[in-house]
Amino acid sequence: MVVMIGLANGMISQMINNGTGLVTGQIQIHSPQYLPDRSVYETLGSHPNDVESLLGIIERDPAVIAAAPRVFGGGLVSSGAATFPAILMGIDPAREVEVSRIAVMKEGRLPLTGSNEIALGSTLMDWLETNLNDELVLVAPAADGSLGNDLFTVVGIMESGIPEIDGSYVLLPIDVLQSLIALQPMRIHEIVAHIDDPWDAQLATDRISIELQRDGYAVDVAAWTSLRPELREYAQLASGTQWILAVIVFSMAIFGVANTMIMATFERRREFALMLALGAAPSGIIRSVLSEAFALGLLSLAAGVVLTFPILVWWHHFPLDLSAVFGGFEIVGTFVKPVLKTEYPWAMIFFTAFALLLTVVTAALYPAVRAARLAPADVLTGR
Amino acid sequence: MTHNTDTSVKTEGVWKIFQTDGLSIEAVRDVSLVIGAGEFVVLAGPSGSGKTTLLNLLGGLSHPTKGRVWIADTDITDMSERELARMRLERIGFVFQAYNLLPVLSAKENAEFPLLLRGVAEEERERLVSELFEKIGIGGLEHRRPSKLSGGQQQRVAVARAVIGKPALVLADEPTANLDREASRALLDLMVTLNRDLGVTFVFATHDNELMERAGRLIHLVDGEISSDNKQVLR
Repeated sequence: MVVMIGLANGMISQMINNGTGLVTGQIQIHSPQYLPDRSVYETLGSHPNDVESLLGIIERDPAVIAAAPRVFGGGLVSSGAATFPAILMGIDPAREVEVSRIAVMKEGRLPLTGSNEIALGSTLMDWLETNLNDELVLVAPAADGSLGNDLFTVVGIMESGIPEIDGSYVLLPIDVLQSLIALQPMRIHEIVAHIDDPWDAQLATDRISIELQRDGYAVDVAAWTSLRPELREYAQLASGTQWILAVIVFSMAIFGVANTMIMATFERRREFALMLALGAAPSGIIRSVLSEAFALGLLSLAAGVVLTFPILVWWHHFPLDLSAVFGGFEIVGTFVKPVLKTEYPWAMIFFTAFALLLTVVTAALYPAVRAARLAPADVLTGR
Repeated sequence: MTHNTDTSVKTEGVWKIFQTDGLSIEAVRDVSLVIGAGEFVVLAGPSGSGKTTLLNLLGGLSHPTKGRVWIADTDITDMSERELARMRLERIGFVFQAYNLLPVLSAKENAEFPLLLRGVAEEERERLVSELFEKIGIGGLEHRRPSKLSGGQQQRVAVARAVIGKPALVLADEPTANLDREASRALLDLMVTLNRDLGVTFVFATHDNELMERAGRLIHLVDGEISSDNKQVLR
């Protein structure tokens, strides 16, 4: 049960990390009017030092590991006669690798700041029939009403496993995209923050929001739980299912243990009858049976820890990747690999230990009461 | 109603009726008797005459269907199981036919069990068990498990357990039934001695002729009723 919960926790954790680690991030900061339309004009950074200042405030939060600025634009990408629509994502390569896996290249490398280099999704590469080091043309509507266009060299290929991303995303240096779409160098559309525990995102969001307001920034700070409600709901559903399963398993265990305890106390009914005949109080018999059950529970717990804890630790540090056999799958827009990785938060371990002890003591209650209510005369005379 | 404080156990119009497969079996029928403190009483009678059932009623191990039972001056008829357990612990010792020692405990641990339930300190328990074991001839066997003792030795441990708390009344159900003649006689001598030296009241249910002959009072039961009740010289 512990291993099963550990694996389910691992799967949920992977799903959240994948769902938030590609593009969404765990916390996003925008201009208040940027979402949902993502207008190119709704930017952060009205003064030259704003972005650095914002990044500094965000990274001061204890939960934040890293933060990165982004600029977005829509456009067309062409190679020869082939042209496809694309989402142009301007990134700071050094910061982006700290906050998202989209910056992890399948082949090649990330584009360098200040250079006309791009990285494309693998599907878009296939559609364009292009390769690394080939040149492509990007055309994008600019903020000043003009049409920006330029020639770029493909230096990287990314593969997220999500067709929508692999077939539409183009990464290029943030300064190059700003120039392409005629955006001032200090203006960005988004800051993404990566935090230690995704489930702490809302708390961190609240803290960051307060800090930014205190410093006079009128910005919108949102956690992944509100940006990706379907992912949050699926994770909560999976988590809830796991608890329901745990309750079912422990309920079944109660009947199993109760049956064993009934048999055990039945075999010892002469002993209990004798103790009652000699003057043991019925409540003393109940305490005795429950204490024995508790002691057995502790032994089972110790045995369970010895047997399962090494598995939990092993599969946490050395997950069993079955994607070579089963491939990957997509759940609510998130690519998930069939990787057997366990997560074992201490709360889960303490809960299961407590549940085990509660199960055996609860299961022993009925047999204990039966033993205490034996009629000593009947049992000792074999009636 | 008042009762003589020298009375160890008393019954008044006691009945015990068992319901089995729709049949009513009258195991004890309208038994009234008074057993004084320090008596050595034998309940005799053929199998099924109600000896063990009456013994269980006297010891508060089962409730009478009708009638009342007193231990000394305390009416135990309507006591709860908890109160009966307390009363048994403080006032009554039991010796059973099949020894009924707890197999996982040593002879000493079996004998001191009532003291343990009373919360007597370990040193005191140790001292009392040691003295009693010497007295009844099983000194040195304190740490043996029941499986490593002979039948006679096991029954002596059972007697030790019955008397160690200095009860006012010891009830013994066929205590010599599983013993050979020699062991049976030795156990009987022991109980007579305890009766004389400690003033403990003994009530036996038995088929054993020698036990009947040596009893101070012999009560015959037939079909759950007292057919005769004779005092005789305790030998």
